[in-house]
Parts: sequence; structure tokens; C-alpha cells
Amino acid sequence: MRLTAIIPLLLIFNLLAVVLALGVGSSGYNQIFRILTNKADDTTKTIVFGYRLPRLLLAMIAGASLSASGCAMQALLRNPLAEPYILGVASGASVGAALSVALSIGAIHSRLVFAFFSALFTAYLVYLIGISSRFRDQTYAILLAGVAIASFFSGLTSLLIYFAAQSMHKVVFWLMGSFSNPQWEEVYFALPITIAGIAYLLITSWNLNALLLGDEHAAAVGINVERYRRSLIAVVALLTSATVAVSGVIGFVGIIIPHTVRMMVGEEHQRLLPSTILLSTAFMPAIDIFARISTSGELPVGAITAMLGGPFFLYLLLRRSI
Amino acid sequence: MKLKVEDVVVRLGSRDVLKDVTFEVKEGELVALLGPNGSGKSTILRTVFGVLRPMKGVVMLDGKEIGSVESAARILGYLPQDTPITNLKVLDIVLLGRTPYMSSGLRRPDESDYGVARKALEEVGLEDFADRVFSELSGGERQKVMLARVFAQQPKIMLLDEPTAHLDIAAQIEIMEIVRQKVEEGKSAIVAIHDINLASSFATHILMVKDGKIVYAGKAEDVITEESIRDVFGAEVSVRRFGRGVYVVPKLKPVGGQKRIHVICGGGSGQNILYALAEAGFRVSAGVVNVLDSDWEVVSELGEVIDEAPFSQISDSAHERNLRMVEESDAVILANLSVGWGNFRNLLAAKYAAELGKLIVVNGTPFNQRNFVGESAERIYEEILKKAIVVGGGGDVLDAIRKLLG
Repeated sequence: MRLTAIIPLLLIFNLLAVVLALGVGSSGYNQIFRILTNKADDTTKTIVFGYRLPRLLLAMIAGASLSASGCAMQALLRNPLAEPYILGVASGASVGAALSVALSIGAIHSRLVFAFFSALFTAYLVYLIGISSRFRDQTYAILLAGVAIASFFSGLTSLLIYFAAQSMHKVVFWLMGSFSNPQWEEVYFALPITIAGIAYLLITSWNLNALLLGDEHAAAVGINVERYRRSLIAVVALLTSATVAVSGVIGFVGIIIPHTVRMMVGEEHQRLLPSTILLSTAFMPAIDIFARISTSGELPVGAITAMLGGPFFLYLLLRRSI
Repeated sequence: MKLKVEDVVVRLGSRDVLKDVTFEVKEGELVALLGPNGSGKSTILRTVFGVLRPMKGVVMLDGKEIGSVESAARILGYLPQDTPITNLKVLDIVLLGRTPYMSSGLRRPDESDYGVARKALEEVGLEDFADRVFSELSGGERQKVMLARVFAQQPKIMLLDEPTAHLDIAAQIEIMEIVRQKVEEGKSAIVAIHDINLASSFATHILMVKDGKIVYAGKAEDVITEESIRDVFGAEVSVRRFGRGVYVVPKLKPVGGQKRIHVICGGGSGQNILYALAEAGFRVSAGVVNVLDSDWEVVSELGEVIDEAPFSQISDSAHERNLRMVEESDAVILANLSVGWGNFRNLLAAKYAAELGKLIVVNGTPFNQRNFVGESAERIYEEILKKAIVVGGGGDVLDAIRKLLG
């Protein structure tokens, strides 16, 4: 499919997602038009600006950073099933969030700060262990270190939850991934990181093509692979840590979206990456809307993406030659 | 552009993988790196490109040291050994060769980059493959795409690490032909390669590498010898020369011990048989042949010869020695030779061998077309055929010998 055809289509999806995300609910769609014409009452304004808009933005932030990071990690590891949490940030953030609750530092900001920094710390730890290993292929050493650290930290999280059972229901729900109870502060925190990180990935997307051929081939066309790998890992760590800190662990988005787009535009990253980001900023709010309206309460978004992701993963395994 | 590698030492871990490597490559030269696995061929290429840094010594281009990998990529077209697996389109891969020419910020190929990439695809004969998915191509096509990527870099010197590995013979030749053409346009190339024959056919110079050292260097016909190959590869081979060309074949382990085979031949009718027998490990002899006959040249190199002065009839003493040789041999082969009065006695020696029950006759061309003696020779030949094992061509001789010797 040509890029000139797919980008407008994706933009329409995004617009639809915005309208739905801001409009779905008891007050009805005509409220959106009232807001646009400045005729809405204060209650409506509070609902839309104080609740639905930050929620929409958080969903878009999570979708964009997870799917773009997924794209980057898949190129870096030359493994189509690599996902952004490979650096261990999900388990790192979980430990941080659980710790903030266990230590009874109750405020929402403390959870965010704890989760963010412990996610970053974990990614750094994984990277350090990876590059200190005797593996010839350090990228795989990083992957294996990520698996080991993640396993250790999820054990630690379980222990924390076990010992502080009473106060932990919030952490458990957060772990499942959700955009409920959105705060503007979370948007202010995550949005700049996301924009900067994604800009970096878009600007260097040509190098991702070279990485697909392998480190030696990338070096052969004049790319400083070592330096690029380091900055790529740092950017992915920042993006995913910020996302996981504000919206918990949302799995599989980093695999589903890039692969769906690959089937349409191919592997080339200057086409793949922008399309991936645009699909995710429509997809993630759509899933969130479903989470909001499917039951009387709310479903955790992470559970829905996981339930979509599992079968999709199997489809890739059985159908696609990768 | 002249590449000079001087006293280069490369250390990986605690091991010196290159030891005092020194060589030069000038414009128009296609240098083949020969050597066993792990001898340091790839290391030499990686060091020249700059992925590995020498601990001692320098790599210089026209007297200047090469800077970063980024600047090296405009001058040196390095093709690593492993072919990648990717679903990128062919043109996207070739365009990557333009990376060193793009600005370092937002890298995007422009119109001229597309032009160069398409021309590079044309040069490897894949102009219609631009939109194909790389992973769906054959091995030979993939390697040609990777070569097009190198061409798109417009390098002065190509560093190709086993570009013909895992390819069929047609693809191997095609790849080397493309590389040679590029070199003839005024570039140069260093090619690590495993196939000695391919190397000697295409390379202008050969460097033989052993344990991180260059142990032989020069033109193929001077460098590739049975001794150098035994020394570098530890393999037993026979080296044959055809004009400037060199051709290496394995020496097979002797079959059935040191059996003796005598070949009655002349005029070139016996040379292929003699080579085949020698390679199969037999002790060979031939007779009676005239000195300077092509069969005489071959057997002088391979074994014992009963000869006669040039253009002379077989003398009594030569015939006598020929009969003794027939008696001492385990099998005798009568090659597809022409019979005239000069070598008529060879037919008598063959008849003697047939009577002893150890004759194999190569009856390729009908005898009347190579009989210049007349009816008497015809009659003797018919008699011989009745008592001998008859084969249609030289290629069947080894089978016949196995049958004869049991």
C-alpha cells in the first residue's frame, strides 16, 4: 500500500478515535459541538477537559511510545517478536510502584516517580549486565539479562503485594494497565518525553533499516553501530519507563501494531515507523473506549490487549514467514 | 588509489589474530585472500575497513590513515561474510549503500541516490528486482543485491568476505565476473575466498594466509603449488597448469595398494587416463612414446616412461622394455591411439598384454579411422578386442580396472 494512501486513512481513524473518546458517555455527542461553539455548561467542560481529554492523551502516549519502541527493538534485535518491555522496564516499574505503596508514600505522584525511576534503573542494569557479558552478540546478552532481571523483579513485586495486601489493590489494578483516573500531571510528565523520544526515532529511522541487515552490514554503510545502539536503548528505556509509570503494563501493543503495519507498508522504517505511530494513536484510544463501555465498571486495558495479542502472536507464528 | 597495510598486529582477547601483516593493493588489482577457516582472512578485511583497530601498524590509503567508519564507507565497500535475512525490499537495501553520502541528521535518499542505486542494480543484472522482497530471492540473487549495495557506495576499493560462499558454480562465476568487471573499470578488490581454482581464475594476485600471517604472496601461477597448499591448508593436492591458469585437484588415497598400471598410448591419447590413474593413487607408466609427444610430457611428470627418439620408429630395445613393463604391471591399458608404422609395435605389446589377460582397451574412435597401417593391424586389433575388457572412453577406465583387479 502506498504511503500517500495510508497516512490520510490513519488520520481519519485518529479523528474518529478523538470524537469517540471525547463524546462517548451519558452526555452525548452534541456536547462536543457545544464545546466547540463554547455553549457547553461547566459540568460538561469538566467531564471533557478534566477527564476524557487527559485520558485520551494518555492512551495516545502509551500507544505511540509502546508501538514505536516495539518497532525499534524489533530492528535492533532483528527479532520480529521482540517487544518494548525486553529491557525489563515493566517489572522495574512494578517494583517501584509496589514499593511506593508498601512504604505508604500514598500520593499518585510518588507512585509515578517511583515507577519511572525504578524502570529506568532496571533498563540501565539490564544494559550494563548485557554489555559486560562474554557473549559475542551483546544485543542477545541484553535480551537474556532482561529476561533474568524481569523474572527476579516480578517475584519481588509479588512479595511486596503479598506482605502489604490491604493497600495493594490499586497497584494490582495499575499493573494490569489502565487509563482510568487520568491526571493532567501524568500527561504533562509523559508527553514531552514521548514527543522527544519519538522524534529521535523518526529522525534516525534510516539507521533502523541498516540494523535489519546486522551490525556488520550497518557498520559497512558507515553507521557507528555501537553509538547508535546505546542511544536507541536509552530512548526506548525512557519512552517505555514514562509510559509504564503513567498507565501500567500494557502488553503486546508493541508487537500487534508494528506487525499489522508491516503487512501493509513493508519493513522500510521511513514508511513503517510513522504509520505505526499513527495506527497506535487511533488503536489505543479505541481499546480504551471498549474498556470503558463494555461493562458497567471498567476493564483493564492491559487485559484486553493481552487477549488480542495472544492470538495475534500465534497467527504470526503459524502464518507469517519472518 | 593505493591501499597499504603495514606491519599490522590485531589482538582479540589475549591472542594475536593478525601478526605483522603487510601488503599493498593498487588500482586495477583483484587480490584473493586464501587460507583455511580461522586463518585471519575476515580479520584482515575487517581491519582494513576499520571495524577492528590494529594494536600495532597502520592501514593507509594513498599515504593517509583512514578515519572513522563513517568516512571509510565512502572509499571502502565492505561486504561482510554473512548474508542477512530480512523482508526489506531489494531497492531499500541497495539504497542503504548511499548512507555515507546522506547528511547525518535526518537521512533520506534523494533523487540522485535512487539513480545510483538503480544503476548499481543494473550492474549486477537485477534491474527488475527493485521491488522484490529480499528474503524471497535465491542465494545467488541475494549476494548480487548485497554486491549492488557495495556498488551504490561508489567505493574505490571493495573488501568482499567470501562473496561466493554457498553458491552454485554458475552464481560463483557470475559474481566473480561482476567483481572483475568493476575492477577493470579502475577500482580494486580484496576478496576472501575458499575456492582456490576460482581465485586463480579471477585474481590478479594471491595472498595466502596462515595463522594470522601472510605466508605466500604473488601471482597465482607462482604461489599456488603443492607445497604451499600443503603448508597452508594441510591438504594433499595435485596442481596442474594450463598456460597461465592453475588448477587444483585432490590427491585421492591409493586404492588397492600400490598397483602398477601401464598405458600404451601416444599423441595425447593417454594423458587424461594417466592423470586419472595418478590421482586415484596408482603407479603409472607409459610406452612406447616419442620424446616431446604430449603423452610423454604428462607421464614424465607422473611416472615411468619408455620412450623413443622424436619421430622415430619403435626400436627393438624400446619394444623389449615395453614388453617387460607389460609383464610387471597389474593392468595394461591400450589408449585410443592412432596406429602407423612408427608405433605398430605398440599394438604387438598390447596383444601380449591381452594374452596375459590384463588388457583394457579404450575403443573410442572406430579403429579403421585411426589405422594407417592396413589390414594386418586390423586383424591384430580384432584379436586383441576378443581377449580384452573394452570400454568406450577414458572415463570408464577406472571402473574397468576395479573390475579387472577385483
